Amino acid sequence: MQISTPKQLKELQQKFQDKDNKLVKKIIVCHGPGCLASGAEKIFEEFQQVLSKKKIKGVTLEALKKTGCHGLCEKAPLVAIEPAGILYTRVKPRLVEDIIEKTVKNDEVIPELLYQDPETKKRVEKYRDIKFYSHQTRIALRNLGHINTADIEDFIRVGGYQAMAKAITKMTPERIIDEVTKSGLRGRGGGGFSTGRKWATCRKVKDDTHYVICNGDEGDPGAFMDRAIMEGDPHSVLEGMIIAAFAVGARSGYIYVREEYPLAVVNLQIAIEQAREYGLLGESIFGTDFSFDIQINRGAGAFVCGESSALMKSVAGEVGEPRAKYIRSVVKGLYDKPTVLNNVETFANVPVIIDRGAKWFTGIGAPKNSGTKAFSLVGKVRNTGLIEVPMGTSLREIIYDIGGGLIDGRPFKAVQTGGPSGGCLPDSLLDSPVDFDSLTKAGSMMGSGGMIVMDDRTCMVDVAKYFLSFLVSESCGKCNPCREGLYQLYKLAVKVSEGRAEEDDLEKMEKLSDMIIIGSLCGLGKSGPNPFLSTVRYFREEYLAHIKEKKCPAGVCRELIRFEINDKCDGCTACILACAYNAITGKKKEPHVINQDLCTHCGACVTVCTRNAIDVI
Amino acid sequence: MVNITINGKLVQAYEDEMLLTAIRRENIDIPALCHHEAVEPYGACRLCMVEITKDEWDGWKNHVTSCLYPVEEGLIVNTHTPTVIELRKTILDLFLAGSPRSTVIRKLAAEYGVTKTSYEEVPDGTDCILCGLCTRVCDKMGFSAISAVNRGHGKEIAPPLNEPPPDCVGCLSCAYICPTRYIKFTDDGKTRKIWGRKFKLLHCEKTGQPTITEEFARYLVKNRQIPEDYFKINDLSHRKELALKMGEITQWGREE
Amino acid sequence: MRSRLIVNPNLCTGCRTCELACSFTHSVAGKPGLSRIYPLDGGFKDLFVPVVCLQCEDPACARSCLVDAITRNPETGAMELDDKKCVRCQACVSACPFGCSLFDRVNNLVVKCDLCGGDPACAHFCPTKALEYKPIVPKALKSAG
Repeated sequence: MQISTPKQLKELQQKFQDKDNKLVKKIIVCHGPGCLASGAEKIFEEFQQVLSKKKIKGVTLEALKKTGCHGLCEKAPLVAIEPAGILYTRVKPRLVEDIIEKTVKNDEVIPELLYQDPETKKRVEKYRDIKFYSHQTRIALRNLGHINTADIEDFIRVGGYQAMAKAITKMTPERIIDEVTKSGLRGRGGGGFSTGRKWATCRKVKDDTHYVICNGDEGDPGAFMDRAIMEGDPHSVLEGMIIAAFAVGARSGYIYVREEYPLAVVNLQIAIEQAREYGLLGESIFGTDFSFDIQINRGAGAFVCGESSALMKSVAGEVGEPRAKYIRSVVKGLYDKPTVLNNVETFANVPVIIDRGAKWFTGIGAPKNSGTKAFSLVGKVRNTGLIEVPMGTSLREIIYDIGGGLIDGRPFKAVQTGGPSGGCLPDSLLDSPVDFDSLTKAGSMMGSGGMIVMDDRTCMVDVAKYFLSFLVSESCGKCNPCREGLYQLYKLAVKVSEGRAEEDDLEKMEKLSDMIIIGSLCGLGKSGPNPFLSTVRYFREEYLAHIKEKKCPAGVCRELIRFEINDKCDGCTACILACAYNAITGKKKEPHVINQDLCTHCGACVTVCTRNAIDVI
Repeated sequence: MVNITINGKLVQAYEDEMLLTAIRRENIDIPALCHHEAVEPYGACRLCMVEITKDEWDGWKNHVTSCLYPVEEGLIVNTHTPTVIELRKTILDLFLAGSPRSTVIRKLAAEYGVTKTSYEEVPDGTDCILCGLCTRVCDKMGFSAISAVNRGHGKEIAPPLNEPPPDCVGCLSCAYICPTRYIKFTDDGKTRKIWGRKFKLLHCEKTGQPTITEEFARYLVKNRQIPEDYFKINDLSHRKELALKMGEITQWGREE
Repeated sequence: MRSRLIVNPNLCTGCRTCELACSFTHSVAGKPGLSRIYPLDGGFKDLFVPVVCLQCEDPACARSCLVDAITRNPETGAMELDDKKCVRCQACVSACPFGCSLFDRVNNLVVKCDLCGGDPACAHFCPTKALEYKPIVPKALKSAG
């Protein structure tokens, strides 16, 4: 089936819509990363089996859908029943028959499977009434949870490739670039550079070859926005890339996917083949002289390859080391040719902008920060998962309204944004808006959209130490300030956490950080000291407690804490059995004692104690 | 030609050349450990960083590695601002922590007033500062016998799989170009050893003096079309041969 | 018209002034460097041949140089070795069929004749004009004139 005119595409959309309208019910099994990990595939198979055994009128196997991430990963695996809009959480294979019997057949809701609001404790029946969803605006994630993964028919049904048809047949490259520029779309990978301006510069470079690259090397710990899009809605990435290619005059494109995302590679590959089959990729697209094709490149697991110049080197088969970008990659990028490199989420935004116009897009979000941003909300919040909110939404809204507040109602301490080289923001900044400029001003950054919430039991020195150690091992090792500087900064952080540091060490760390920022070659090094700088900026007392009083207030840093058994101990011996170092002694039903010389502060006793009888001092 | 200002002095520089070249032409001493004219600039040691600005930048300044930054009309360059000096000091301090025994590093660090590192010495630190000159020159010469392995703090230069590199010809360019003399080799006039590999040296048929390795000569014959018999004798014997040949022609002229 | 270094062994007395001149012109750190020219025994009585780089049309030295450190100076026609680029692999030393790329062991340098940038000291100081730096007159022009 080759589509050669926009009219044909419209007809096809109508055909797929008619087919879809015939479905009385839809059973949507989420196949996002979180749900897959919790056994979504088993549940899907179970639905297939039960459905084919039971003959329910109007409900065939076609009613069963495998979609991308719904976002509420905390409650995975998820199953939604449409058109009623019911969301079932933590579904188990043995409950599948029940769901079909009650909900699919008889429109009866199973209350135990519904989402329970953490505040009101009430079960919420409708999907859209769940606070987690009602505060979100989904643009990049628009199709996730609604269409089959890597299914071009379903994608075309919801209006896929219409924006591309419009761009190629009705717009000039200049108008497309103008529209994207006016929309104020900024790079969602973290850089925040104007996408339109990037395209315009690339188009202006006179060369016979231009390239378009999609950066899918999402390496931040805890982040999975791009993964969810690539796995769940690969066609929207392709559509965005095709529009970009037409705008800058590229004939070939690359999608660089990290090695750890095998499903993304599979789904993207399926999507590319489908698009070729439909004539949406390849020679003379829509009968014009525009030809474009896409190839997938797999990374090898290096964090630094998410940096654009290192990524281009990796695509070209060289060692993934960044180069100085005094000559920008839009001018001299892949194979020294002008190259547009955008992130997965950026490309996923493009079709919507072309479809609905720049004006509509700027109506969402904040000034100079139009549109939305996807985040993966993780850490000590109740509703961890994938979210998308308008730019400028406050941190409080994200953490408390969408995230449902902290687990066990514990006090909020900090939120880490921007991935490993981002920063930690304290509660005093909870009401500040989340956008590129505000986060940078606060000493953190937007990054690709990781958001880690921390409660009062988190030690900020420990957090800084963790992220620094991540960066030390992920530094490519090319330039001295990043390789040696971050290593020494990490060593100093270890010194603080072990209580060996002196007061002037803090000053030394700050000075070193400044030099690393000035001296490093690429963004990884230049933002490398952020975990330290932001924590020392907002949590200086905590550092000083480690240095002066040799104490870890959060009770985390092993060298500075002591475990002691208090009078709540009822002598159950659970801790004695748990202690691998035989540091705890005592008789049954008599208070136990910890031998401080043998204790290694591993915390195993605290975990097993049911009576809260072990104090961390 | 483009006009730039270096440390307050207006100078002219060639288009397409890098700032470092223009700065060094003015006899201004700025250190660089990963720079060599034989290979492309790399920007790894960061010692050649300078401060740049332009009149139209409204006071905005940037710090760039001069070895990689192409000269631009109207560029105002300062090579020894307090920040730049502080940066070089910090970098040398960091290098010293990693290579405390390297005389080259110690000397350079002392020039910037660092005699002892203020950081923790790196356990098992070596004199290798990962400037990448050896691998780059090896690539440039067409051998690619050695490369950087691992990343970050565990990065090191090694032949593939840490075995004697099959593509090495024993030309010693890596050892020569190494700024800290970390790459070691031996040469007893018969065999040469480097990177765990042994090479037999060619000897002049007349004087018995050693020349280059067999592998290197073979490479030049094959890839650079140098006739094989050129390598039979050394340069001194070649000169003597030439003198005798020319002498003979001259003698004929005399006899006629 | 480009000049060439013309060698006339008939006039050479083997006085080695050229060697001295070269050595002093190419001094390294204030000390005389390795001479690029050698008056050698021509094989007959009282016959000396000053051996110096011939600045070949298709030079083996440049061909053997893997880092492109030897290039022709368009003004003088000399094959010049850029010491900043040289990596001391000594390929040229072995590859030159006339032995006119030399390795200076004292200073760890590869050297060759660069015609002193257009005024060769050897020719300048040669007392007998055995070495002369003068324009080459092509044969065609010679016979015509």
